[in-house]
Order: sequence, then structure tokens, then C-alpha cells
Amino acid sequence: MRRVIILLLTQVLLWALLAELNHGLSGWQVHVFGGALFVVYPALHLGRGEGLLVAGWAGLLCDAHAPVPFGTHGLLFTAAHLLLFRARERVPRNDPVSQILVVLFTNLALFLGLSLLRLPAAPAPGGAWGRLLPDLLASQLTLAVVAVWFLALQDRLVRLGDAWAELRGHRG
Amino acid sequence: MPFKRFTQANPLLTLGLIVAAWLLLPTALKTLARASFFELTAPVTLAASRVRDLQDFWALRARSRTELIEAGRDLARVNASFELAVQQNGELRAEVARLEELLRLPPLRDHRLEHARVARRDFSGWWQRIVIRKGRDHGIPAGAPVVFSGGVVGRVAEVHATTAVVELISSPTMRLAGVVEGDTRPISFQGGVNPTLAPPRGVVELMPLDIIANPAAPKRLVTAGFGGVFPPGLTLGTIVRADLASDGLFKSGEVELDPRLGTLTEVSVLVPVAPPPAPVRPAP
Repeated sequence: MRRVIILLLTQVLLWALLAELNHGLSGWQVHVFGGALFVVYPALHLGRGEGLLVAGWAGLLCDAHAPVPFGTHGLLFTAAHLLLFRARERVPRNDPVSQILVVLFTNLALFLGLSLLRLPAAPAPGGAWGRLLPDLLASQLTLAVVAVWFLALQDRLVRLGDAWAELRGHRG
Repeated sequence: MPFKRFTQANPLLTLGLIVAAWLLLPTALKTLARASFFELTAPVTLAASRVRDLQDFWALRARSRTELIEAGRDLARVNASFELAVQQNGELRAEVARLEELLRLPPLRDHRLEHARVARRDFSGWWQRIVIRKGRDHGIPAGAPVVFSGGVVGRVAEVHATTAVVELISSPTMRLAGVVEGDTRPISFQGGVNPTLAPPRGVVELMPLDIIANPAAPKRLVTAGFGGVFPPGLTLGTIVRADLASDGLFKSGEVELDPRLGTLTEVSVLVPVAPPPAPVRPAP
């Protein structure tokens, strides 16, 4: 449970950072979607139940701030978590290049999933891709830069939490 | 242990079970959860906004006194012209009230302005929204129109304790009735696809055939005032293109919205004011 709480706090930090970035980019009509960063670490490093909890919680956090049916992000993130969890034995989890590739492919899938759910509401669904593709490009470029840092931050905080618990155990 | 093996073997079935459980969850519980998640993160949004304000404050403190004196002089000129406009506005209001009484018309819906700082802007290809730093505690109602110096910003979509979410007119899901300035026939306006590195845009439909608009001769689109939400005459944008629609009965076109919508820092919410009770006339 300690690991879950640490990761939930990092999810809030990530959400706040993405919100600030998008606030600053709004003048250029550019939006960065970083859904994969909420999902990848829990799926690659936590147990199934713990990971599901973290991914679902992050999804609901995103849902609360988006005009979508509540649970849309939650279910997309949960689906991504389950698929990544199944494939994680085949992924070199501590290799930075592999981490970036996993983040980029997961983000692509989540972005397309959300776009397909939202497009029917647009006045010209075909024309919407003219805006969505630059957004996707900006998102992937941003994630390629920050993914390794954020995953390392999560890993370091989880290890610190483990070390602290171990120390308390010895003292007790 | 057997459950673990089941979920590991059938991730898609696990997902299906989660989806089914979610669909069966009562709507009230989902609404409560959404509001709870929003309120949980509201302090983060507000704190970030306050820090930005502080940054602006210190940036302004770095300005020279000469710049401040010049800004004060410009502001005094603007204030003088506004004071004149306020006087004219008062006279016009009195005239409207006199005509309403003479013609026994129902009074126009009155609003008070509630100014609010923008805490967060969220402009994606899917939706366009802002979060403002005033909410239920300040009397902001859901559905209230939001304006700025350039015209209509949007409509209050969600109200929370200390914040409110405003859906912008550039949002693809936003629809409202407008009229071309000087015309009375209603036109359907909808937020559009907002291209990257360009001003926000909207689309108009059901436009009468005799209205001609192109980049050389654009037409100003204003609110129609139908439905009682938006007062009439507020600027929505400029119609820069109008072509014959596929049905041949109307035109559809493109509306260029104010580019400042993407960098809003302060807006005003038009909070409806309850009309004063009608004077009781003594029985003859």
C-alpha cells in the first residue's frame, strides 16, 4: 500500500505539471497528452492489483477534469495497464530506450482511443485530425524527453519508501 | 490465488468485468466521485494560479517608474472615456425602463458582473475549457454566460466550491444562436476545429442565402439573445467565409474568433439578477 500511495502522489504531480504545460501552450493551440506516463511504471513494476489501483485512480483524476463520461480515462488506462502487464516479461524494464518506446506506443494507443471516442462530437470529424496530429506529435516529442526522468523519479521514490520502511522495521 | 491466475490468463475478460461493474455503478456515485476528484485537486490548480500571479507581480515590480507613470496616464485617459460611456449608459437604461413601462413590456433580464481570474486553460483538439477562480461560494450559477473585452468567452459548465469550469465558444461541442450584426434572422453557431498556431475558429450553419461574407468583406457575428442565456449583441466572432450548404437552402461558413481567447487571464461571469418585484397598484 505504501508504494501505491507514493505513486498516487507522483500521479498528482504529473497531472499538475501537464496542466501547467498545457496552460502555457494554449496560446499556440497546442495540447500535450501524457496518459502513458500514468500507466507505464505501475504496469511494469508493481503487482497486478496495485498497478490496477494506481492506473484506475489516475484515469479518474483525468476524468474529473475532462468533459467525458466519468470513467473514460479510467477504463482506457486500466485496459492499457492490463495489456502492458501481460507483456512486461518480454520488455527490458530498466533499459531507457525500451522504456521510451513503451511509453510512446502506449501514449499513441491511448491518444487514438480517446480521439475515436471524442470525434463524433466534432463538427467535422475528418477535419479534426488536422488539429489532432500536431497535438499527437507534440505529445510524443514531450514524452520522449521527459519519460525517462519521470519513470526514474517514480522508481527512486518507491525505493526510498522501501528503504524507509526497512529502516523502521529494523528499529522496531 | 486462483483469481490471480484467472486475471493473468484473461486480461481482456478482466477488463470486460471491470467495464461491466463500472456500467452498473449508480450515476449518483459516479457524480460524487467526479466532484470529489475535482475538489481534491482544486487546491493544486489554485496554488499554481496564485504562484503565476506572484510571478507577474514581481515581473511588474521590475518595471521602471517612467513606464508606470506612462501606464497611469494611459489608464486615466481610458477611465475618462469610460466615465462618459457610463453616463450615457445610465441615460439609455432609464429610457429603456420608461419605454418598457409605457409599452407594458416584460423587463429585460439583468445581470451583475462577477470578475474572475483564469486559473487554468485546457485547449485540446477534443475540448476547450478554462477553470476560473470563483465558484459556488461567489454565487456563480451553472449555465451562466462568460464574457471578456473581446466578446463572449463561453458558458459555465460546472460549478464547484471555489472554482468553476467554463466551456469556451471555440469548443467543438459548444452550440448557440447568433445573428449577423444588423440582421435579425438566427444562425446556428458551433465551435470548430481549432488549428495549431492559428486563431480559434467556429462554424456557422443555417445562414440565409443573401448574407455574403468573405475575407475581404467579413461579417460580425453577435449573440441573438434567444433562449435567455446570452444577452443579445455580444460579439462571437467574424464570419470570414460563407458557402452554399449541401442542402442548397442555406449557407454554412467559417467564423474567426478572437485570438485572445487562447491567452485569457481574466473574465467576467454574467450572473442573472432576479428582477425587482412589480409595484402593487392599489385597487380602484
